[in-house]
Amino acid sequence: MNAGKYGKIAYDGLITNNATFKLVLGTCATLGMSTSAVNSFGMGLSVTVVLLLSNVIISLLRKVIPNTVRIPAFIVIIATMVTLLRMVLEKYIPDLYDAMGVFLPLIVVNCVILGRAEAFASKNPVLDSAVDGVATGLGLTFALTVIGIIREFLGSGSFFGMQVMDFRIGFFTNAAGAFFVYGICIALFVLITNQVDKARRARHARMLRVPSHDEPLPSPDAPDAAAAANTTDGEVK
Amino acid sequence: MTVKEFFKSNAFKSLAVLICIVLVAGLLLAIFNDLLYISDEERLNRTLSSIYGKEVTAEPVELTQEQKEYTYGSVNAVYHIVDDGNYLFQTTGTGGFSDGNGTVTLWTVIACTGTWEEGNLELTGIEKVVYDSNEGQTYIANLTDRFYNFFAENDDLLVSGGYFEAVSGGTGDLNNVATGASESSNAACNAVNVALACFRTVFMGGEA
Repeated sequence: MNAGKYGKIAYDGLITNNATFKLVLGTCATLGMSTSAVNSFGMGLSVTVVLLLSNVIISLLRKVIPNTVRIPAFIVIIATMVTLLRMVLEKYIPDLYDAMGVFLPLIVVNCVILGRAEAFASKNPVLDSAVDGVATGLGLTFALTVIGIIREFLGSGSFFGMQVMDFRIGFFTNAAGAFFVYGICIALFVLITNQVDKARRARHARMLRVPSHDEPLPSPDAPDAAAAANTTDGEVK
Repeated sequence: MTVKEFFKSNAFKSLAVLICIVLVAGLLLAIFNDLLYISDEERLNRTLSSIYGKEVTAEPVELTQEQKEYTYGSVNAVYHIVDDGNYLFQTTGTGGFSDGNGTVTLWTVIACTGTWEEGNLELTGIEKVVYDSNEGQTYIANLTDRFYNFFAENDDLLVSGGYFEAVSGGTGDLNNVATGASESSNAACNAVNVALACFRTVFMGGEA
């Protein structure tokens, strides 16, 4: 039961409500940090850590924080987590800290984090919120890394910093190139998820329409049969 | 509203919760700030490692305020590299973008022979120039590796007393300007020139 619930939360964060490709949130950081795959991956992981910590703390305090001051309280908690992350990165991973530059403190105002705090963590238990934070963060990391890989390969001819090609197309390192790659990625992601969803629904409808040989035919009063009666050609009406 | 009513109101509760959250957050940050403190020595070692690609030993050189100020910039810090005897300068060059008020700060490794104590220092060239920071230079990214490498490729002209100029198509041999960032190039050249001037006047005892 719980595994199914957490699986659904994780699937929502990674695919159904992917912050970057489906909800188009956190675009500033996405466009600014995706010039290279390593930076994108680092940014994604940083946001994941902040999401996890802020979701857990906000969920823990959800019954204590009055509704009227919830947004300032969330912002203070998120800003604290981001500042802690900055300190840790500056101390232990200075290269990534330098590469992230101004985008690191800007995580505070990343709408993905405040969005999940407001929409999920403030209404759900701690474990659910933690799973949601990790899943949303990993979904964002995946999206950022994909965009970063494409832009780095086309713009610099390298893959995670390793030079693999001699050519470079400057357009992809610019803001215009970032928008172009972002748009193409969104289109492809929506196309693929729609096709998968369509195939899943068709399979589900077929399962409802054709009972197995061992089972007796369902009676007309059964709810499954009613659903099956509403289907034609694999599509749910 | 009486005082008693105020203390029982939602407004007070909201305020109290917010203050508690801020205080705990502040305490947490203060503790971690102490735990993750980065000393000046550690910062310098990181900079040295990024410049040299390995750990080196450096001794700070004290200069007077007069020895640090130049027409086109200033010297922020000077270190004597014990491992190879060279001098590392952190200098800020003025004359950059934004009405000439922008600055570029660079690290310049000046290669030399002899010692300051014995008074026989001779400049042999620039070993490396590494970018540090800038103020108001929107197009600083146009200063590529090629631009910074140029400073280390003209040792003969530097030995004979030359300085760099950010002039496109100028007559001198030490013209170094990056396309699309002429004012940032000017500030960068000034930063390197300040290091050269300081070395020639203060360390070699000559004229700038």
